[in-house]
Amino acid sequence: MLDRRQFVTAGLGAAMVAGIAGLAGCSGGNSGGAGSATGGDDAKGKVYYLNFKPEQDTQWQELAELYTEETGVPVTVKTAASGQYETTLKSEMAKSEAPTLFQVNGPVGLASWKDYCYDLDDTDIMGELTKDDYALKGDDGKVKGIAYVIESYGIIYNKKLLEEAGYTADDITNFESLKKVAEDITSRKDELGFSAFGSAGMDSSSDWRFKTHLANLPIYYEYKADGIDTTDAIKGTYLPQYRQIWDLYINNATCDPGLLSTKTADDATAEFVTGQCVFYQNGTWEYANVAEVGDDNLGLLPIYIGVEGEEDQGICTGSENYWCVNKNASEDDIQATLDFINWCVTSDTGTTAMCGADGAMPSGDPGMGFVIPFKDNQPSENVLNNLADEINADKTPVKWCFSTMPSEEWKNGVGSALTTYAADQTDANWDGVVTAFVDGWASEAAAAK
Amino acid sequence: MGKKKLIRGAGTGLLAIICVAWILPVIIVLFNSFKSRTFISLLPFELPDADTFVGFENYLSAIDRYGFLDSVGWTVFITVGSVFVILLCCSMCAWFITRVTNGFTKGMYLLCAVSMVVPFQMVMFTLSLVADRLGLDTPWGIIIIYLGFGAGLAVFMFCGFVKTIPVEIEEAALIDGCSPLRAFFSVVVPIMKPTYISVGILEAMWIWNDFLLPYLVLDTNEYKTISIVIQFMKGSYGRVDMGAIMAALIMAVIPVVIFYLACQKYIIKGVAAGAVKG
Amino acid sequence: MEKAIKRYWPVFIVPTLLAFIIGFIIPFALGLWLSLCDFTTVTDATFVGFTNYIRAFEDTIFQHAFWFTALFAVVSLVVINIVAFLLAFALTQRLRGTNFFRTVFFMPNLIGGIVLGYIWQLIFNGILQQWNQAIGLNEWYGFAGLVILVAWQQIGYMMIIYIAGFQSIPDDVLEAAEIDGANWWQKLVGVTIPMMMSSITICMFLSITNGFKLFDQNLSLTAGEPSKLSELLALNIYNTFYGRTGWEGVGQAKAVIFCIVVVAIGLIQLKVTRSREVQQ
Repeated sequence: MLDRRQFVTAGLGAAMVAGIAGLAGCSGGNSGGAGSATGGDDAKGKVYYLNFKPEQDTQWQELAELYTEETGVPVTVKTAASGQYETTLKSEMAKSEAPTLFQVNGPVGLASWKDYCYDLDDTDIMGELTKDDYALKGDDGKVKGIAYVIESYGIIYNKKLLEEAGYTADDITNFESLKKVAEDITSRKDELGFSAFGSAGMDSSSDWRFKTHLANLPIYYEYKADGIDTTDAIKGTYLPQYRQIWDLYINNATCDPGLLSTKTADDATAEFVTGQCVFYQNGTWEYANVAEVGDDNLGLLPIYIGVEGEEDQGICTGSENYWCVNKNASEDDIQATLDFINWCVTSDTGTTAMCGADGAMPSGDPGMGFVIPFKDNQPSENVLNNLADEINADKTPVKWCFSTMPSEEWKNGVGSALTTYAADQTDANWDGVVTAFVDGWASEAAAAK
Repeated sequence: MGKKKLIRGAGTGLLAIICVAWILPVIIVLFNSFKSRTFISLLPFELPDADTFVGFENYLSAIDRYGFLDSVGWTVFITVGSVFVILLCCSMCAWFITRVTNGFTKGMYLLCAVSMVVPFQMVMFTLSLVADRLGLDTPWGIIIIYLGFGAGLAVFMFCGFVKTIPVEIEEAALIDGCSPLRAFFSVVVPIMKPTYISVGILEAMWIWNDFLLPYLVLDTNEYKTISIVIQFMKGSYGRVDMGAIMAALIMAVIPVVIFYLACQKYIIKGVAAGAVKG
Repeated sequence: MEKAIKRYWPVFIVPTLLAFIIGFIIPFALGLWLSLCDFTTVTDATFVGFTNYIRAFEDTIFQHAFWFTALFAVVSLVVINIVAFLLAFALTQRLRGTNFFRTVFFMPNLIGGIVLGYIWQLIFNGILQQWNQAIGLNEWYGFAGLVILVAWQQIGYMMIIYIAGFQSIPDDVLEAAEIDGANWWQKLVGVTIPMMMSSITICMFLSITNGFKLFDQNLSLTAGEPSKLSELLALNIYNTFYGRTGWEGVGQAKAVIFCIVVVAIGLIQLKVTRSREVQQ
C-alpha cells in the first residue's frame, strides 16, 4: 500500500490529468452550441415551450397536441414549478434540446437572457400586436419579447358575504374605509361566521402574491412620485403604507399570523370559495378556481394602501409574460416556433383556447381565460377581466413595476422577512423587511451588473 | 438474580417505548393519508373522523394526477438496472486491477478512492451537462451515469475483498485451461457472493433514494423517480395537495419496508461489512 | 497468470473506465475549470480567474452556511453516536425482542431524504403550531429539526456497526475483567470502549461526512427558510448555482471549496485509521 503522502500526490496528479482530459472533452462537446445541432435534418422543425404559468399547464399541453394534429409539427410543453422558472430555464437552456420558446418577466429577466433572444421585429406575430407597449425591447432597440397576456390583480371579494356584513363595495374607496370594514368584520367574526381576508400564505405556492404583487404598490408610487421607470436604489418612501396593508391582511385573516409560513395557495383559494372569507388578493388568472362562488357574486377592488389621492387608483394591470424565441435554436426550429405562436394568437382554435372560459377547450376543459394583446383577442368570459376593465375605465390603472425588481433573490428576501414579521409583529422585525427591501434592492441591483 | 431480571424487564420496557416513538412519525403520516387534504396541516395529530375521512381518495389522486405508479416503475428499473451493472462491471474491474499490478491499475484504484468522498455538488451541473450531450438523460442512460459515479465505492469495496482471496484457486483454474473470463465467473464470483450482497445493498439504498442526480440528469418531463414526484407535488403547479403528498409518502415507504423485512438479514450484514471496509 | 489476465483488459476494465470517465472524471475536471469562469450555460463561459472564489468568500450567507454546517455536523455526530452506542449496548444485553427492536430502529435508514423531510415537516409544524410557530420561522427550529431528523435516520445504521463492534469483543476478556472485580462502568471504560475504538472512529467519520453532505433532507424539511438561514452548505451551493442568475461561477467555486473541505475530512480519517492500525 501507498503511504499518505503518495496518496495525496497521486490524487492531485490524477486530478490534473483529468482536468486536461476534461477540457479537451469540454471544447469538443460544446462547440455545437445549445440546441443548434438538433433537428437539422427534419425540415419542419419543432417547438419546445417552457411554460411559466402552472395554472394553465393542462391547456397548453392540449393546445400543443391540437397543433401537432393540425400541422404535424411536434410541440413539447414543459411547465416549471411555481417559483422555479429561472432555475428550470437555466438547466433546460444548458441542454442540447433547449427550449425554443421561453419567457422573461420584463426588463430584468431580459437582461439575463438577452443573448438568447431572437429579434422579433420582422415576424408575423409582431404585426398582430395591438399596441407597441406590449413589445419588450432590448438595449439595441430591437424587439426581444412579446407580451402574450394582459392580466390584472386586486382584491377579489365575495359580494354576498360583504352584504351580509352590512357593506357594499361603494363603502370602500380608500385604505381607511377598507380597514374599517375589515376590522369590523373581524370584530364580529364569530357572529358572521367568516373572516375578512383569506390566509396570506407564505408557502412558495402563494408567497408571490405578497412579496411580488403587493410589493408592486409601494414601488409604483415611489416611481410615480420620482417620475422614473426603474431604479438601482429604491428608497422605500411608501414602505409604511406597505406595512399598513400587510398588517391589515394578516391580522384580519382566517388564520393566526404565525401560521402563514405553511399556508399554501390551495388553502387561500379553498377559504375563499367555501365562504370563510370576504376578501382575497389575487388576479384574473385565478378566475377558473374561484368561479365556484358565482359570476354575479364576484367583485374586484383596487388594493388601497393608504396613499394620498388613492381614491382614483385603479386595478393593477400589465404583463410579466413575454414570449422570447431562442436564437440559438436551429433555423427550422425558430421558424416552427414563430409559426406556432402566430397560430396561437390568430387561429380560431388558438384564440379560443387562450381567451375562452368554461368548455373552451375541445376536451371540455376551461380555456385559459386570457386577455391577449393581439388583433384577434376574443371578448373575455372571465368576469374578473371585465371587472378590471370597468374599474380601469374610470380610474388610473396601476402599472406592473415588479418586473423591475432586481432579482428572484430580492423577492425571496422580502418574502422571508414578511413571514418573520407576521409571526412576531415588532418594529425590529419590520426593520428586517425594510432592510431586505431597500438594502437588498441595492445589493442585488449591483450584483446583476 | 431477581434484581437482574427486574433490570432486564425495565430495559425491554424502555426499548419498547422508544420503539413506539420511533415508528410514530410514519404512523401519523399513515392516518393523515386518509384525511381530506384541508384538514391535514390544520389538525395533523387527530385521527380521521366522519368529517375528515376520505378513504383512498388521496391515493387515487397521487396515482392519477401525479403518475405515482409510473415513477415507482422507473425507480425500480433504474435501481435494479444500475445495481446489476455496477456489480457486474465493478467486480470485474476490481478483480483486474487487484490481480494486475502496474501504474495504471494503481492510479485507477486511487481515483476510485478519491471519487468516493467527492460531494455530488462538485459535479452536479457538469455531470448533467455531459449526460445531456451524450443523450444519457433516459432511465437507460442514467444507468451508465450511476456506474460512473458509483464506481468508486464499489470498486474500492470489491478490491478490499479480492485481496483476501488466495490467488492459488484462480491459478489452478487458469492452468486447467480456463480463460480468465471463465475463471472469473466460475471461481471468483461464487467466492465473492457475500461482497456482492453488501455492495448491492449499499448501492441500492443510495440509488433508490437519490434525488438530485436523477432530478438533474433525467428528462423529468418523461421520467420521474419517486423522490422527484414527491418534490414536484410539493413545489409544483401552484397547488399543494397535502393529501396526495401523504399518500405518496406512504406509498414510497411501503416497498422499502417490504424489501427490508424480506432481506433484513442481508441488509444488516451488508451494512456492517460495508462500514468496516469503508 | 498476470499476463493471461492482462490480455482481457477490454472486457474487464473498459466498461467501468468509460463510465467512470463520463460520470466522474470529465464532470470533475470541467467543474474545476468552470469555477474559474463566468457563464450561464457553458457555451458562453469566459475565463475570469479567481473572481468567483473571492465573491464566494465575500458572500455572507455562504459564511453563515459554513459554520452552520460545521455546527450541525458536530451536534448531529454527538447525538447520533451517543444514542446509537447506548442502543447497541442495550441490544447486546440478551434482552427479549432484541431482533425486533433492531429491525425497527434500522428501518428509517432505508427511507429517502426527500420522503423523510416531508414526514417530519408535518410532525414539526403540527407541534409548533400549538404556539403559532412553524419550522420555517426560526433557523434554530430548522437546526433542531434537522438534527432530530438525521438522528432518526442514521442512529439505526450506526447502531448496527456498534452492535458488530460489541459482538467482536471476546467474552473471556470481559469475564476476566469481572473476575478482577471490575464493576460495569469500569468494564465499559476500561475494556469495551478501547476495544470498540475502530467502530467508534468509523461511525464518527460517517456521521460527520453525512452531516457535511446533507442535502435532500435540508431541501425538503426547511428549504433554507427563514431567509436562507437554515441552509447547509450543499443546499447553499445548489441555490447559488441554480437560483441566481449571474452566480453560476460562484456556485461552482463554492462547490470546489466544499469539495476540498470534505476531501480533507476524508484524509484525516485515513490518517487516523492508519495510525491506529499501526498501534494495534
